[in-house]
Amino acid sequence: MICEKCKERPASVVITKGYMGESIEHHLCEKCAFQSEAFHFSPNEEPLSIQQFLSHWFGGGDTFQTQPKRRGTTAHQLECPDCKLTFGNFLDIGKFGCATCYETFKERLPHVFGKLHNGQTTHTGKIPVSFNELYAIKRKIEEVRVKMQEAVEAERFEEAAELRDEARMLQQHLSNGGEAYNVD
Amino acid sequence: MSIEKFMQSAITGWMTGEGEYSDIVMATRVRLARNLRGYRFPIAASEDEALAVDKMAAGALLDEVDGKGYAYIRMSDLSKLDREVLVEKHLISPQLTNPERQGAVVLSEDETVSIMVNEEDHIRIQCIFPGLQLEEAYQQADAVDDLLEKQLPYAFDEQFGYLTSCPSNTGTGVRASVMMHLPALTITKQIKRIIPAITRLGIVVRGSYGEGSKALGNVYQVSNQVTLGKTEAEILEELGNVTARLIAHERQARKNLLEKSRTALEDRLHRSLGTLVYARLLPTGEAAKCLSDVRLGVDLGLIKDVDVSIMNELMIFMQPGFLQQYANAELTQEERDIFRAKLFRARLLIDGALPSTKKSKED
Ligand SMILES: [Zn+2]
Ligand SMILES: [Zn+2]
Repeated sequence: MICEKCKERPASVVITKGYMGESIEHHLCEKCAFQSEAFHFSPNEEPLSIQQFLSHWFGGGDTFQTQPKRRGTTAHQLECPDCKLTFGNFLDIGKFGCATCYETFKERLPHVFGKLHNGQTTHTGKIPVSFNELYAIKRKIEEVRVKMQEAVEAERFEEAAELRDEARMLQQHLSNGGEAYNVD
Repeated sequence: MSIEKFMQSAITGWMTGEGEYSDIVMATRVRLARNLRGYRFPIAASEDEALAVDKMAAGALLDEVDGKGYAYIRMSDLSKLDREVLVEKHLISPQLTNPERQGAVVLSEDETVSIMVNEEDHIRIQCIFPGLQLEEAYQQADAVDDLLEKQLPYAFDEQFGYLTSCPSNTGTGVRASVMMHLPALTITKQIKRIIPAITRLGIVVRGSYGEGSKALGNVYQVSNQVTLGKTEAEILEELGNVTARLIAHERQARKNLLEKSRTALEDRLHRSLGTLVYARLLPTGEAAKCLSDVRLGVDLGLIKDVDVSIMNELMIFMQPGFLQQYANAELTQEERDIFRAKLFRARLLIDGALPSTKKSKED
């Protein structure tokens, strides 16, 4: 079956929408489903259905009245600038579209994660070495800036200028993803 | 091709029937989910973006693992049947074969390591070992992760850890699973009581053949549910503890069955052996049930002369993709049931007589 919306890709997701007491099925491809406003069921997913779980807990389904947030409230309209996923949509499909989603929905995620991960909301496991390097660069920049401020206040302008250059260089490395720079 | 030869070429590391507790634990799998910074996840990526991710990942992978017998395989270069066989060997997931995903896999020669590109996440590192080897499987996956990390900018967050497409993987991105054969707990219906209790510990139990949670052939997949707020070591330890308890329960249940209803048990297991050796039509469900029985018979010493590794192989080879690959043709369901029966007869009745572990003299 071909996707109803783009009429291009094979349909892999069934969306059931209630309309005047009847439910209508829409067959969409994964891409179109991702952008669609509301769907509740995706049959080709793993047995432990995250999306059903999430939409029940947070989607304002009738069975769970503890979460009064409804579709259409501001929170549900929060939209990720990179992949255009809204928070409401995230609750429906149970997947993030990109890493920026995490930043966009930051405020609401601890609640979601708490439910999924036995109350846990903060990572305590492995940290990539490269991330440690980036983190180290960030800290180094802060350090250099403090020194620069001190130099300016003490009117050691030559030293301040050098520190300013160093901070700029570090900043550059940071935006390059910290490549080829070793922080001691 | 002779069956022996076909199986030897199709066999993969984890099916050998070796490893600790191999009478109950068939295999251990550890999977790490990783994504690249600056690219949308496969579900939201454009084709160009997916191709860029593939290029980057493949570049790093081949750079780092080159010369160690790894092969890079694009899904679009494989026939439907070849893809199916990789799924049935548990080396890739069905999701990877989704034609919209630009999926690829990097596979180690012995097939213990498979690295999927553009599955649900950009990169999924998977290691499968025979028997119970949680520590070993994790260390292998972790080592591959370290290599890749040197070249690839991972999407990682101080608070949330490794950022994944599904919130159920966020944090460590680790999913560790133990594939267990639990016939005695199933026969005695204790498993129904045990599963809810285990679930409360943050461990998930489900059937291992993908289809829903039905345990085909009494094989269950036991895995961690929580990936956030726990270290990798804690996750492995908790799963290890639950596995150890399940092994103890299963052993006890086997012992009880032997003591209390030995004849009935022997009858059931031998009937199953008879079915496998003489049937002319063997549907999947029946084949799986009988295999489970014969395997239990072998483990209990009630059935001799059948090698456990043959049971492991047949569990994999009885699946549709393998059957069709062996037959070298597309088969209807009835043809598959006939062919499956033929394969089992040939494998178990090597000299036209008794089940035997003897290596074949043919070719
Ligand atoms: Zn579409
Ligand atoms: Zn996003």
